[in-house]
Amino acid sequence: MNLQVELASRKGSLILANPVMTASGTFSFGLEEGHAFNVQELGAIVTKTVTLRPRSGSPQPRTAETPAGMLNAIGLQNPGVDAVVRKMAPRWSRWRTPVIVSILGATVEEYGELAARLEGVEGVAAVEVNISSPNARRGGMEFGQEPDTAAAVTQAVVRNITLPVIVKLTPNVTDIADVARAVVESGADALCVINTLQAMAIDARSRRPAIASGFAGLSGPAIKPVALRMVYQVAAAVDAPIIGCGGIATGLDAVEFLLAGATAVQVGTATFANPRAPLDVLDGLRRFLDEEGVADIGELIGAAHERRPAESPATS
Amino acid sequence: MKATFARVTENERLYGETHITWFAAPEAVRGAGPGQFVMLRCVEPAAEREPLPATELPVDPLLPRAMSIHRMRQGADGPEWSILYDIVGRGTAWLASRRPGDAVYCWGPLGHGYSLRRASQQLLLVAGGIGVAPLVWLADQAIESEKSVTLVLGGRTAEQIFPATLLPPEVEIVVTTEDGSLGRRGLATEAFVEHLEWCDQAFACGPNAMFEAMAKEQRRSRIRRPVQALLEEGMGCGTGICYGCAIQTRRGMRLVCKDGPRFDLREVF
Ligand SMILES: Cc1cc2nc3c(=O)[nH]c(=O)nc-3n(C[C@H](O)[C@H](O)[C@H](O)COP(=O)(O)OP(=O)(O)OC[C@H]3O[C@@H](n4cnc5c(N)ncnc54)[C@H](O)[C@@H]3O)c2cc1C
Ligand SMILES: Cc1cc2nc3c(=O)[nH]c(=O)nc-3n(C[C@H](O)[C@H](O)[C@H](O)COP(=O)(O)O)c2cc1C
Ligand code: FES
Repeated sequence: MNLQVELASRKGSLILANPVMTASGTFSFGLEEGHAFNVQELGAIVTKTVTLRPRSGSPQPRTAETPAGMLNAIGLQNPGVDAVVRKMAPRWSRWRTPVIVSILGATVEEYGELAARLEGVEGVAAVEVNISSPNARRGGMEFGQEPDTAAAVTQAVVRNITLPVIVKLTPNVTDIADVARAVVESGADALCVINTLQAMAIDARSRRPAIASGFAGLSGPAIKPVALRMVYQVAAAVDAPIIGCGGIATGLDAVEFLLAGATAVQVGTATFANPRAPLDVLDGLRRFLDEEGVADIGELIGAAHERRPAESPATS
Repeated sequence: MKATFARVTENERLYGETHITWFAAPEAVRGAGPGQFVMLRCVEPAAEREPLPATELPVDPLLPRAMSIHRMRQGADGPEWSILYDIVGRGTAWLASRRPGDAVYCWGPLGHGYSLRRASQQLLLVAGGIGVAPLVWLADQAIESEKSVTLVLGGRTAEQIFPATLLPPEVEIVVTTEDGSLGRRGLATEAFVEHLEWCDQAFACGPNAMFEAMAKEQRRSRIRRPVQALLEEGMGCGTGICYGCAIQTRRGMRLVCKDGPRFDLREVF
């Protein structure tokens, strides 16, 4: 059974042993002790989003439970890119699993600067450009909501790095296909679809927003149908590999995203509800392929489309 | 950390509105000490089949609940551990309705628990309300290693006070209630300051307002004793991967679930 997928092949290549990765901000930097599964079995790890300087994030409360989902406004707490390069990358360089560093700048120039700092760093396999976080006071989603700003950020990153570039899109837009096209034309190797939906919860007793910063990002199984629709839409619009993300908790969820046109998937919030979730998704995917007699995962990619969007990007 | 379906062996209302649930699943608390906790999913596993895989669990409520490990005991079929809680919402209501034989998906042990200095002989334990949960196991262990233990049990009313009959007889108990229905009328904080001089080390668990008052009273008293506080914060994961539980400390941002939940009182308050 072939599970290998290719996410980039232009300047640098990014080949994953299997299509299951962790989603940014839901697995820290992968370096905690005593995970409930072996990290080396996953296709890739995506780190918490990193900024140029350290950030301490939002005030409490930062999270709230919602029906089949959750809200978060972590506010991009992270130790800054230099600490990542100095302390974490050397540890990743001994891993079999590729590590993709998620980056966010307050300006287009900062995105370029972040890319430059990560260029050539051993242990970093690719970057994921976060133009989709609803929790950044500056940067993040504001760049991802318009095709031209999304393109400008993508160009700034691509210019400064030879590593593969993934751009993570926001669902909080009028037409995600427009943004996807602009980003791919600007040189992105792959797209991650989607980040959280901007949302809100209000505590009736205290008469205040449940999250200190007011608005927050909705994630978890509740958003899966939205994410699936957007992956399908983007797959029909562009010719680049897509990483599906949003509410994935089981192997069958992953299969649905592949059928919609994703080449790989990210598991996020599900890992809070089940610390084995990424591995359980991979096991479930394997079981599905086995039961259905699918020899190559490439057979599934985009198969739900009437006409397949593009040649299967999987390698064999 | 180990994720497992833990079998409930016993579940009862222990006193007032406070419930205790016992589990036979030593793998979830292997190597644990007092002050460490487990995360529990409060949803029913699919019936009539082995509960695994966890991917089959219902997705609502989605997030796990944090519970301190309350106590250990030798059960009929091996070691058992328990949680002690008040019903405050959906998750705790669900836990309180479990029957012996039911399975609960959980993982642990998590976080850093209390750290007892070997040289400390006289220990002051301060519990505010349900904050007594992790302190009972600490008291059990301290008595076993022949330390002197004074346990301050604070609550709003008598209903909230952990029964003295369930504690080792060697433990010196001081009860304070806000309405005076049991023990002294007043706050646990007052009893804390009175015993501060006596103790070598103090251990507390309760609401943040109690910690704030303790820190203030200790500063005013000028009595220097190491005080460890077990903090609570809203949690997404409990395992250090979501950054939902971050707090500002004098040493910078810390995650309650991973760097704590035990902190030096002075570091935070
Ligand atoms: C490390 C740790 C150890 C804990 N140990 C215990 C214990 O031994 N016994 C015990 O009874 N409780 C303990 N708690 C608190 C417990 O986790 C929450 O009360 C529980 O999640 C409530 O779940 P629920 O679904 O019943 O209530 P929900 O419906 O989720 O909430 C009910 C109310 O409680 C508040 N709440 C929910 N979660 C928290 C939280 N983590 N901190 C503060 N307020 C919260 C909500 O805002 C709401 O007002 C602990 C918490 C932590 C972080
Ligand atoms: C607590 C939390 C923190 C997150 N932090 C980030 C982040 O730093 N950068 C980012 O690009 N996405 C972040 N996300 C979004 C996830 O990566 C993912 O896109 C989203 O949650 C949808 O997937 P899910 O439903 O599987 O969680 C975060 C999500 C959660 C729940
Ligand atoms: S609860 Fe997720 S990091 Fe602490």
